[in-house]
Amino acid sequence: MPDVKVFTKNIRVIRQNWTLTADGSWSEGLHVVTGAVGSGKSTLALTLAGLLKPSSGEIQREGISSVMMVFQDPEFQVTGSTVEEECSSWGVDPDAVLQRINLSGKNSFSIRELSRGELKRLLLECVLSKQYDLLILDEPFSSLDCYEKERLSRELSERRHGITVILTHEQSIFPRTDYVWEIIDSSLCCRGKMPGALVLWRSAPSLIKNLILADKIPKNISPDDLVEALCRT
Amino acid sequence: MIHLNNIHYRSLSIEELQIPPGITSIIGRNGSGKTTLLKICAGILVPDSGTILIDNKVPRDEEVGWVNEFPERNILFETVGDEIASSLRFRHVPCGETDARVHACMESMGIASLKNRSMHELSVGEKIVVSLAAALVHDPRILVLDEFDSHLDANLAQKVERFVRRAPAEYILRCTQDMEKAARSETVICLRNGEVVSAGKPEYVFPSLHDTSLYPISWRCRT
Repeated sequence: MPDVKVFTKNIRVIRQNWTLTADGSWSEGLHVVTGAVGSGKSTLALTLAGLLKPSSGEIQREGISSVMMVFQDPEFQVTGSTVEEECSSWGVDPDAVLQRINLSGKNSFSIRELSRGELKRLLLECVLSKQYDLLILDEPFSSLDCYEKERLSRELSERRHGITVILTHEQSIFPRTDYVWEIIDSSLCCRGKMPGALVLWRSAPSLIKNLILADKIPKNISPDDLVEALCRT
Repeated sequence: MIHLNNIHYRSLSIEELQIPPGITSIIGRNGSGKTTLLKICAGILVPDSGTILIDNKVPRDEEVGWVNEFPERNILFETVGDEIASSLRFRHVPCGETDARVHACMESMGIASLKNRSMHELSVGEKIVVSLAAALVHDPRILVLDEFDSHLDANLAQKVERFVRRAPAEYILRCTQDMEKAARSETVICLRNGEVVSAGKPEYVFPSLHDTSLYPISWRCRT
């Protein structure tokens, strides 16, 4: 597979009364972007996906032939009226998908019969069943329970293809991550690769900050990595 | 004490449960019955059978404040002051008293400067603090928070947690997927498939969940 890369070159995205600026390059691997509620994470997601046009600057893609984005609110993205129809619309096997997300037997359920968490699981699994050169997930963990967050983080940790960008305010359960970014004062900052990025990560969850203060810098931020650091003597 | 006895409502089935005053976190998977239990405690739902008494009164005779998962989507009024005053006005509290209580509530939460602002111009974080103020302005004995922390960033979650801990409500009932936060509650109730699998102090409940995703990460190397 050729190298895939995305460049956000001095982009400025103007929203109602604020402007997001971003300058950086995105390599193959898993990127986590954090920032306060309202800091511009969803704006960045839409811009990376090509759904919002920056008012200045340029987004360049190299080797990217497929792009997918999962929105924060799953109810705005589904198109099927039943679970089976939704799976079919993504070209995936309903039985296999439903088994992986613990919803076996719900093929004929109306989309409206699913809880928000179940709908989110369904949409994410349909998308993750396929490979995309650039995959953007806006708040994938919200509305999921702890079991599903851990299952999703394991699945994302094992993903090897392309560039995956996760924009999240999650505080405890993350996949094994390659790069950390954060939006501070409406500006995107790259904190670099793991684990060096951890000490620069200003909006890091308190559990990770406490580990750093205790001089137990985790190797990465997945639950297994955090537990390993916690248990280190 | 909140006493629940032989409660049945759809898939929720609780033989006996006692909830002491203080902060109680209800945990469990999506669909385990957390919101249903909160709604029964708040008097929004009446169980098909069984009894629930809050210090010997039924929930509908109690003052309850409620904040749901998307407080910013449930705004009723144009300005911040009107939104916070709404529960007092619905109760026909005299205007002078309403103004005084709204002012005191906003002062205590550091949002007095927002009084005349349009709700729709506020940031998401400000809307959430205003929603909490609107739930607290009538001094409820029971404050119910239905996963309203699941869309907050770390700083906002900490700020809101400080307000929650300072809230004068005698019973604070919340459901959350943040197990670190649940572990800092006075009481934890774990639901599975509509039934209580464990209830009590965090030190009692969480060890029984040792091999599950509900066990707080910060506890995972405890022996």
